[in-house]
Amino acid sequence: MHTLKHTKWAIFLGLAPALIIYICIAIFPIGLSVYYSLMNWDGITPMRFIGLDNFVDIFKDDIFWLSVKNNIIIMFTGIAGQIPLGLLLALLLNRGLKGSSFFRTIGFLPVVISSVMVSLIWGMVYNTEYGMLNNLLGVLGLESWQQNWLGDPFWSMISISIAYIWQNCGLYMIILLAALQNIPDEVNEAAALDGATGLSRIMRITIPMIRGTLLVSVVYSISNSFRVFDLIQIMTGGGPAHATEVMTVYMYNNSFMNMRFGYGSAVSVLILLFSLIVITIVNRLAREKE
Amino acid sequence: MKTSKKLRTMLLTGTAALLLMSTVACGSGEKDAAEPEKVTLNIMHPWTSPNVDNEVYKERIAEFEKQHPDIIIKQDGVAATEYKTKLRTLAAANNLSDINVVWPGADLAPLVAGDLLMPLDDLMDNWKDILPEDALSGFNQKGSQFAVPTKQTFVDIIYYNKEMFAGVGYDQFPATYDEFIDAVKKLKEAGITPISLGNKEKWPLQSSFLSIIGDRYVGSDFLQKILNKEAKFTDPEYVKAIAVIDELSKLGAFNTDANNMDSVQGQDYFIQGKAAMHISSSTVDGRIRINNEEGDKFGIALFPSVPGGSGDPVKSAGVVQYGISIKKGLSDEKKAAAEEFIKFFVNEDLYKDLISKGVVVPANVEIPEDASPYLKEMLELTNKGTAPVFDSVIPTQVTDVMQNGLQALTIGRGTPEELAQEVQEAFDSMK
Repeated sequence: MHTLKHTKWAIFLGLAPALIIYICIAIFPIGLSVYYSLMNWDGITPMRFIGLDNFVDIFKDDIFWLSVKNNIIIMFTGIAGQIPLGLLLALLLNRGLKGSSFFRTIGFLPVVISSVMVSLIWGMVYNTEYGMLNNLLGVLGLESWQQNWLGDPFWSMISISIAYIWQNCGLYMIILLAALQNIPDEVNEAAALDGATGLSRIMRITIPMIRGTLLVSVVYSISNSFRVFDLIQIMTGGGPAHATEVMTVYMYNNSFMNMRFGYGSAVSVLILLFSLIVITIVNRLAREKE
Repeated sequence: MKTSKKLRTMLLTGTAALLLMSTVACGSGEKDAAEPEKVTLNIMHPWTSPNVDNEVYKERIAEFEKQHPDIIIKQDGVAATEYKTKLRTLAAANNLSDINVVWPGADLAPLVAGDLLMPLDDLMDNWKDILPEDALSGFNQKGSQFAVPTKQTFVDIIYYNKEMFAGVGYDQFPATYDEFIDAVKKLKEAGITPISLGNKEKWPLQSSFLSIIGDRYVGSDFLQKILNKEAKFTDPEYVKAIAVIDELSKLGAFNTDANNMDSVQGQDYFIQGKAAMHISSSTVDGRIRINNEEGDKFGIALFPSVPGGSGDPVKSAGVVQYGISIKKGLSDEKKAAAEEFIKFFVNEDLYKDLISKGVVVPANVEIPEDASPYLKEMLELTNKGTAPVFDSVIPTQVTDVMQNGLQALTIGRGTPEELAQEVQEAFDSMK
């Protein structure tokens, strides 16, 4: 404490660059968005203050609620798919299998390649005519299972969720692997001595030990799911008929395609609000359990 | 301790890198200022794909640079599908290039409203002999001319596979809507995809289909009447036009993955002989016939007449395209250079080059003897009157509702009546 007192300014100075950058590229634009969200503005002619009209219009728009629904689907499938899968892969890699560093790289690769590539790859996998998935089903004699994966309103959201899970589960694999490796050997040894093996050790020892990291992963997965854009924009563009439109795509279409920057800003403010609400709820629930 | 030392090294390296970067940045800044005064013009254009006309434009720019060593042209080529979005975004940020390629009508309106483009009225004498009034009118707003067009695009050309049509008993392209539907049904029965459609970008059904189908039913002044609030999208005759898309979808006339293919993939599908028809712009003829060894397999036609339609069935929906415009508020030297550029770029030679490559132009220039016979056929087909293109008249945000609605019809969602209602509401609620 004593040393800290004297270096307060030094600490502030150290933080200042990061703080300034953060304010400039995050806080300030968010404030600006809130300001624009109260305006009727096509980006070119002078803007006009219209109060909360944008928000009223958004709430009245069915397509917006459809995009919210799709965001929720992405969020739940994301949490339910990415984290368990990530954990499973992390547990496998943590066993010290032969070539684990190779598999670690493979598992992490989808996170590193650009979303555009991921979208194009999955677009090809799902393609109706020459796509890998339909061909595979054909070879297996399951022609009746073949679908227009991205064009069918029922399947399109599921197809996108799968691509989204594939893209991101490597990230959680790495995060959880780091957490697993931080579990002290003593704990594992003690558990082994007490006869906890296999599944029961994972459920009773491993998972409680990495609970904090799991929670962070869930929060991260939620905030990620609200930001998903490029994957959907490239694979389907929000189509067919808004079936795969999420809030970010809705925002993009309104601001950049329809030139309604005020309206688009209002949507972005709502995205921020929604993700804050969901994350607060998750944090509350987690704390109550503790 | 060990980690903190590592951290310190990392931080130090990071800071050093940052410092280095900023010095480098400073250095380059000074260099720029020291350059002798050459005028640099920025031009943003959508001529990135390997279309025949794009090559012509780029050659023209290169030629200009050769003849004007004191003017440097900096090109910002943006893929055509992204171009309009980037143009609007830059316009919003008041950050347009010195020279921009613009679209007429509803696309140009916000740029003019925002006072971002320089009126070209003083320069227009330059083209008075070759450009007719109706070629210029799309870029004329508030009584001033804001751009000079380079090419004319007809968006509704039906390319059809002659063999496939002959196979179902049509040696000629169907002349009436009933025959057209009959052909679609027969093609379908024969196991052929009747129409290849790449509608992922959503505009094809609106631009290439609805523009002309609407015109067949309600005539060429209808869209303007809507803008003047003298007509509505919900008028029963117009709903019939929308219903054509619904009918074609229900007949299974389009390829199943129509909404996942982009427009170029849609063309490929047709060129590869997987479908009997493709409806697209006249420019695409370069790919389908002019530069295709097997081009004579394909014929061109216009959408047939419809029962009870009040439109003229020989008209084709067209729009002048790629208007060259100059940004407002340039410095005197830049302005002079930009004017020099536009005069050089858009002249008789450009139009002649384009024609010789098979591209339709809006100018009165003689068609050279060696022009492609396909081009002559195209000119023949499209010179009997021009109908407006939907999105060049109707404001973007209303067009968006229409496009999405048409896409919905192809997957069996909604009805033509509901869609007409929605589009009308979107139009009425515009502020």
